[in-house]
Amino acid sequence: MSAVTAPARRSRVRGSLLALNETNPLVPYLFLLPHAIFFLVFIVYPVAFGFYVSLHQWDLLSGVSPFVGLKFYTQIFDGSSPQSQFFWSTLLNTTFFTVVSVPLLVATALGLALLLYRPIFGQAIFRAIFFMPGILSVSVMGILWRWMFDNQSGLINVVREQFFGVAVIQFLTTEGWAWVPIIVGTVWWTIGFNMTLYLAALGGISQSYYEAAQLDGAGAWAQFRFITLPLLAPTTLFIVVTTVLASFQLFGQSAIITGGGPTRSTQSVIQYITEEAFGNNQQSSAAAMAFVFGALMLVFTAFQFRLMAIDLRASRKED
Amino acid sequence: MLAASVSSHRKKRPAWISDAPRFVLLFILAIIFLAPIYWMLSTSFKPESDAISIPIQWIPARPTLENYNEILNSPDGNLWRWTFNSLFTAFAFTLAHLTLCVLTAYPLARLKFAGRETWFWMILSSMMIPGIVTLIPSYIMMLQFNWIDSYHALIWPGVAGVFGVFMLRQFFTNIPFELEEAARMDGANSLQVIRYVILPLSVPALVSLGVFAFMGSWNNYVWPLYVATSPDMQTLPVGITSFSQRYVTEYGKLMAGTAIAAIPVLIAYLLAQRYLISGIALTGMKD
Repeated sequence: MSAVTAPARRSRVRGSLLALNETNPLVPYLFLLPHAIFFLVFIVYPVAFGFYVSLHQWDLLSGVSPFVGLKFYTQIFDGSSPQSQFFWSTLLNTTFFTVVSVPLLVATALGLALLLYRPIFGQAIFRAIFFMPGILSVSVMGILWRWMFDNQSGLINVVREQFFGVAVIQFLTTEGWAWVPIIVGTVWWTIGFNMTLYLAALGGISQSYYEAAQLDGAGAWAQFRFITLPLLAPTTLFIVVTTVLASFQLFGQSAIITGGGPTRSTQSVIQYITEEAFGNNQQSSAAAMAFVFGALMLVFTAFQFRLMAIDLRASRKED
Repeated sequence: MLAASVSSHRKKRPAWISDAPRFVLLFILAIIFLAPIYWMLSTSFKPESDAISIPIQWIPARPTLENYNEILNSPDGNLWRWTFNSLFTAFAFTLAHLTLCVLTAYPLARLKFAGRETWFWMILSSMMIPGIVTLIPSYIMMLQFNWIDSYHALIWPGVAGVFGVFMLRQFFTNIPFELEEAARMDGANSLQVIRYVILPLSVPALVSLGVFAFMGSWNNYVWPLYVATSPDMQTLPVGITSFSQRYVTEYGKLMAGTAIAAIPVLIAYLLAQRYLISGIALTGMKD
């Protein structure tokens, strides 16, 4: 252990409050301080400040921001306001995206991992290829898939027309179809993360389970159904929770591929909140929406973690 | 008996025959995954008329660098400057983030002091706050600090990200205490323990976290979109989307710009993918 041999000098200032040895009770706090400053200024304070902003009629230009109480919160729940209408309809869009994309992102990731976890020629290369799209920025991914699904000259439409003789679909500007490039692009872009988590989990399953099952005459499907799937349950829950939360944060994919259109049909709730804040210059209204959205996410996360805890307890009992 | 003989017969078959269907399937999937990236490159080397020509041109018939030339000298934005902004921001961010995470993860993992658990849970629970909640107040703060259109706004607000603290704390906790005690016997203070004991043993975790941090900053889109809006201060992801509004139908140029943004990351990925993938596997582990 060459690492340990280096410092031989004894600390000169024992007991001083600036000494960095264990006799100084302040040492842990000195170490925490730099991170704590940034944490408090850029994470904790903005939450409080955001709440303050949401209770006022913030005005960046005049600097006069009168207190308005819960006006912007009641506005969200007042069905006649355009803010309420757009907030809930874009939240519904985001929910639709989540409901469709999460099962795809979990199931296809598991499928890829199952194909890939046993040794095969080129295993590492395949793994690297499936993961690769995930390292691209959302703008690269978005511009690329907008081109792939372009109404006239996109690869998808050209191939459909040229090789299958079917008419082009105006993917980017047809309500409903506009989700296809967003969802396909997202699956391509993010599947590698989930696949990697599944690969790690599959690698941790002892082969002895399968050997025992084979001796009992279990086929491939039975082995998958009664060994692999149950043992992957904690990983699956982790993946579902993180994927659902990430899907609700949808912004770049739809903002770049379809611009949220046609007629807001693919606009995500995050995109709408930013539009309200920076396009309509209504920071207070947007801050209130962000809090309502954040609260919904929090309830959802708490619910998921509860499920996860129950599941983990159940799996411990089985052991 | 029959089953046993069948399965032993199966084992005798050479691996490459029984693996063949799986390999073919993986190969087809790999082609599908790579197709968009190939198409991006292919389009970027075509004159605009060939990019949208029918029948489809899989390989550029008249390959040209004209798109790259035009996009790099575009009057509507400076790709070189955006690349520099992204690189500088990502390096500074990664350095600051790693330093802060190491300094705060060490006492949380290995020192005993009042309030340790409370502080750790406070940090951990902040992971639940969606980014949109802090986006608007943070933007107003940037205005108040006069940081809009500056590197400060791009670098500092995210450096206290808590995922790194969590990850390093887990990693540091598992380093044997005997090593640290030996160093302390030799008179090492806590900084020296970090420098000579903890860090050398944490290289994989630090590299993974560094790669995450760098990629996170390099690919960040929402925050720079609003705080760095002047053409000279935009980052690459924001800049190329502004191109996508300027060159709406000129896909050759658009793909050249996209390729310029993508290729450095792709190369870095091929070099560092081992750390990245093992790092992700690390985060999925419980306990």
